Amino acid sequence: MGERLEEYSMKILVCIKQVPDMESKFKVAADGAWYDTSELAWRMNEYDEYAVEQAVQLREKEKDAELTVLTIGGDKAIEPLKKALAMGCDRAVHVVDNESFKKEPYQIAGIIAEFAKDKGFDIVFTGMQSQDRGSAQVGILVAEMLGIPSISTIVGFAYAGGAIEVKRELEGGVKAKVSAKLPALVTCQLGLNTPRYPTLPNIMKAKKKPLDTLAVADLLKVDARQSTEKMFFPEKKGGGMILEGDVPALVDKLIAILKEKTSVLK
Amino acid sequence: MNFELTEEQTLLRNMVREFAEKEVAPSAAERDETEHFDRALMFDRLAELGLTGIVFPEEYGGAGSDYNSYAIAVEELSRVCGSTGVTLSAHLSLGANPIYLFGNHEQKLKFLKPLAEGSKMGAFGLTEPSAGSDAGGTKTFAVKTSKGYAISGSKIFITNAGEADTYIVFARTDKNAQKHHGISAFVVEKGTPGFSFGKKEKKMGIRSSPTMELVFENCEVPAENLLGEEGIGFKIAMKTLDGGRIGIASQALGIAQGALEAAINYTKERKQFDQPVASFQGVNFQLADMATQVEAARLLVYSAAYRASHKLPYGQQAAMAKLFASETAMKVTTQAVQLFGGYGYTREFPVERMMRDAKITEIYEGTSEVQRLVIGTALTR
Repeated sequence: MGERLEEYSMKILVCIKQVPDMESKFKVAADGAWYDTSELAWRMNEYDEYAVEQAVQLREKEKDAELTVLTIGGDKAIEPLKKALAMGCDRAVHVVDNESFKKEPYQIAGIIAEFAKDKGFDIVFTGMQSQDRGSAQVGILVAEMLGIPSISTIVGFAYAGGAIEVKRELEGGVKAKVSAKLPALVTCQLGLNTPRYPTLPNIMKAKKKPLDTLAVADLLKVDARQSTEKMFFPEKKGGGMILEGDVPALVDKLIAILKEKTSVLK
Repeated sequence: MNFELTEEQTLLRNMVREFAEKEVAPSAAERDETEHFDRALMFDRLAELGLTGIVFPEEYGGAGSDYNSYAIAVEELSRVCGSTGVTLSAHLSLGANPIYLFGNHEQKLKFLKPLAEGSKMGAFGLTEPSAGSDAGGTKTFAVKTSKGYAISGSKIFITNAGEADTYIVFARTDKNAQKHHGISAFVVEKGTPGFSFGKKEKKMGIRSSPTMELVFENCEVPAENLLGEEGIGFKIAMKTLDGGRIGIASQALGIAQGALEAAINYTKERKQFDQPVASFQGVNFQLADMATQVEAARLLVYSAAYRASHKLPYGQQAAMAKLFASETAMKVTTQAVQLFGGYGYTREFPVERMMRDAKITEIYEGTSEVQRLVIGTALTR
């Protein structure tokens, strides 16, 4: 595979994750450390859809580019890979790991970096975070491990002449323009673009695109540095407060409470 | 035997569902209210997604997929909007498919390709005031001219009419022949002199899908627009309707599925006597029956589609699927309105629209009575 990639002038990698549909009813698994993965509907992590779209747009602009999509997961994880291929990725890499959900961000990043280290990717796209774990660490760690710059939470992207210029959205409504020379990694925020639908003809074409399967054992070279001890639902908060009395008294009481317990009134 | 969707079908279902929920559903109630056909949304977008020629080969502008994918696409669109579902079904099964089945290579390149690609929209003109279930009663006629044929007569209740660019029109070419003999099928393009549109129907349901009368006054079409040969029009119509029934069965299935989901969600939320009404066994059992009927309809539809995809005889199965799915749609949507109570009768909620949309599936492309005739005749032949 390494050889074939050499023919292309720009090499793009996009990393995606399959996550449960967030409208699912979550239950804590029997071991108490993760959610129960049975009986859930699955989809591509929403942040990753923006990453794939941006990668595909770049791929379309750069004629000689090749775009690889990678995921780590069990057999079902092929579904988002196929979707990414139907959206316009050229080839897919499935790192098979039925217990990927038990791995912490450092390990996941280690697997990706181990895969990517000798491939010479010019740019790597990831989602800003996954919807189910939400650590927002994997992309940044991959960049560190590969020794390339990373720019997180991008909401705008442009490429020209070997460098990228991205937009970041900061607190307080401020935006920042950040540029970097390639190779680099970006993590994509929601709203970066409008992810395309995989059209039926492209779904049909995706069937013929290469999909390589790799064993996780061959790529996992780092040890875990953290572990999730317990997963639980927060305890239900007490019910609301019911105020009684005539209207003027009620208004006084309400104002007092708002002043005392909130920052709505001062 | 395998009841699982393929990877391709799963991707397709997810894609169409996402499109339908994000783009089609938000305007469904308003388009129904205003009887507005939004072509950019209800047809052009389908073309962009590669849905307007699902079953046709790539050579003729299609996606090279099969009837199961087609059924899934119509089902998912109809789950949120029956009008959008029938737009695709009438275009693909009725407008485009006869050209694929009976056209020659040149006709396929000229007429089918733009339909499959979705740059043009198709429609089908068979029904007349005196020829509905009995297509043998066709009175529209075509006389030979120096260049081709001149068609005169009218067609009623034509789905996609006015909006469509390409029409398959049935006319009698042999005045002496009786009943279903002597009928021929023609491709007539919008804008041909002598071809105009009559009144637009005001309907109970599928109100954002246009239904109009086609009027032909000495409308001359070139001889190359004759499909197949003279006199086989009845056969073309019947073969076309076999495929069309899979489309309408899928539409009915989608409407039923949409109503079922709405009923489940509502009865889980709605509280009476301090508990969700879904927890009352009387309600819960109704939901169970509705879901069971929808699933049975789905299996019939997918099985007929499978047969069509694999070039097995499927006329009888398509009739069964259409009969069962449309009657299921009517039952399930009616029950959904009941479960919503007073709210179900208002236009605040989608189930009353679904109930109005469901009714037509028992009528068009062969009434339930005609489906029973098709099935029963085949059994006792």
